[in-house]
Amino acid sequence: MSAIEIKNLTVRAGAKTLINDVTLSVEAGTWLTIIGPNGAGKTSLVETVAGIRKIDAGSIAITGQNIGGLSERERARLVALVPQNPFVPSGMSVRDYVSLGRTAYHGMMRAPSAGDRAIVDSVIERLSLHEFTNRNVATLSGGERQRMVLARTLAQSTMVVVLDEPITGLDLRHQMDLLELLKKEVADCGLTVLATLHDLTLAGQFADRLVLLDKSQVVLDGAAHDVIRDAELASRYGMQLRVVDVDGSDVVVPVRS
Amino acid sequence: MTPSPQTTRRVAIVSIVTFICLLLAVFCGLVVGPTSIGTSRIFGSLFAHLGIGHSTLDTMQTTVVWQLRAPRLVLGLLAGAMLAVAGGTYQGVFRNPLADPYLLGVAAGAGLGATFAIMDVGHAISTPTWTPLIAFVGAMLAVGCTWLIGGRGLSSNASTLVLAGVAVAALLTSAQTFLQQQASANSIARVYIWLLGSLASASWSSVNLALPYVLVCITICVLCGQALDVMSVGEDEARSLGLPVRRVRTLVIVASSLGTAAIVSVVGLIGFVGIIVPHIVRLVVGTSYRRILPISVVVGAAFLVFADTIARTAVSPSELPLGVITALVGAPVFVLVLSLRGTQQ
Repeated sequence: MSAIEIKNLTVRAGAKTLINDVTLSVEAGTWLTIIGPNGAGKTSLVETVAGIRKIDAGSIAITGQNIGGLSERERARLVALVPQNPFVPSGMSVRDYVSLGRTAYHGMMRAPSAGDRAIVDSVIERLSLHEFTNRNVATLSGGERQRMVLARTLAQSTMVVVLDEPITGLDLRHQMDLLELLKKEVADCGLTVLATLHDLTLAGQFADRLVLLDKSQVVLDGAAHDVIRDAELASRYGMQLRVVDVDGSDVVVPVRS
Repeated sequence: MTPSPQTTRRVAIVSIVTFICLLLAVFCGLVVGPTSIGTSRIFGSLFAHLGIGHSTLDTMQTTVVWQLRAPRLVLGLLAGAMLAVAGGTYQGVFRNPLADPYLLGVAAGAGLGATFAIMDVGHAISTPTWTPLIAFVGAMLAVGCTWLIGGRGLSSNASTLVLAGVAVAALLTSAQTFLQQQASANSIARVYIWLLGSLASASWSSVNLALPYVLVCITICVLCGQALDVMSVGEDEARSLGLPVRRVRTLVIVASSLGTAAIVSVVGLIGFVGIIVPHIVRLVVGTSYRRILPISVVVGAAFLVFADTIARTAVSPSELPLGVITALVGAPVFVLVLSLRGTQQ
């Protein structure tokens, strides 16, 4: 069964077309990463799936429900977003920040219930954030902060998570840690992931499937192993790429011309 | 949200201290004044109103306490509470620390309306009765214009609405200045006194005029504290978290503006309370609007009554403008809290 079903999606901003007639489906419990050069429409696509952008034509269904007709609250119970540049309000504690993920469940005028608090506690424990719970979010390092944002997203208890460049600004170790955490959630909880990544090596190593987006359209769609070896990939980036096998893992290396 | 044990302790202490301040403010409002009346006799009269014992006040003293000081006290409490909570709400919804309750043109609209009424522009409005109503209509029209120009607050983002408020306020203030230029010196003096804000003309009828709006609006704003906490991550993220951002924004802006307009129409323009009280509270209890807004209600109410007590007694029998006192007292307190907080961090 498809967890995400995108049909003939078109999204515009004024006269500019951001997404042009894209059709895509993501199987439940799998990880699909969208790659592509800057300006290809990756962020627009994940933001539309998360309900932030308006759909101009076509449709998006999450676990069988068309998100076009849903309220913010109903949609937030189906799909959660890790934005590219999450705003971290200084002064808020880590626990309060993670609790924001329960907004869709307790309503806009009510405090989180005991059940909401239990879910927040469990996510904090799972992501090893317990030592930071009372810390001011502004004092966290980049890696800790991104883990906290992921915790807020998981606290939404959705079966579909979309992530827009979740490892931007992190060092190699923290990039791997964050993606491993997410991979574990996919394996343990049957989560469906739709992510965008610039790093082609990591994109290939963590995703079940890669989609190359360029000029607002899908150019390549297939197993990670095949897509990163396709000559079309290098041509869309306008450069030479070499794929090297390192202990059974594909590593994409740019080559100076 | 679950506050940390330290925050819970701090909020508990702050709540107790502010409640004691509120009781002290009520005491000052009833007891302090140029006419010396014994405290026990005033409270004896208060209990008599509650059906316990007998009042020992004579007719003149009863009038001073129950027709002058009591309505002034209640209106001061309402005005301080409303302006503080509206300021805090605006700061949350616009994510702008400089936001005050007059941000969307309430002050300029009410000012123009009051100028109209005081100068008797239509030659058909008798000033004391009509000034509050016309000021109220002016305030609501101004906010309505801001809402329409700012894209009905729906399609636009919050900053467009703030800019529309600046434009509307500038337009209405210039219209008000133009009108004043045509006025007599006497009218200008009365307009000026109104603009400075005062509780001197408080009566039970002005309390009745403002009370229903203020109670409903304060309740809505305080209940929206949780939603404002969610909005602190920005409107797009708040929407992705499941918050109906446009509905919340509309609700809190309408509640804050309506309550502020109701208060401004009966007490004039009292500055500083709406911007300074939520900031002082935020510095002490943290950034959550679930804590800031209810505590601002109590602190704002107590603060304005204290300021009014100074305003009406410092140079008795004449009075100082209330807005001057709120700034004179509020600014040093704010600086003190700011520096203490800075030292702690």
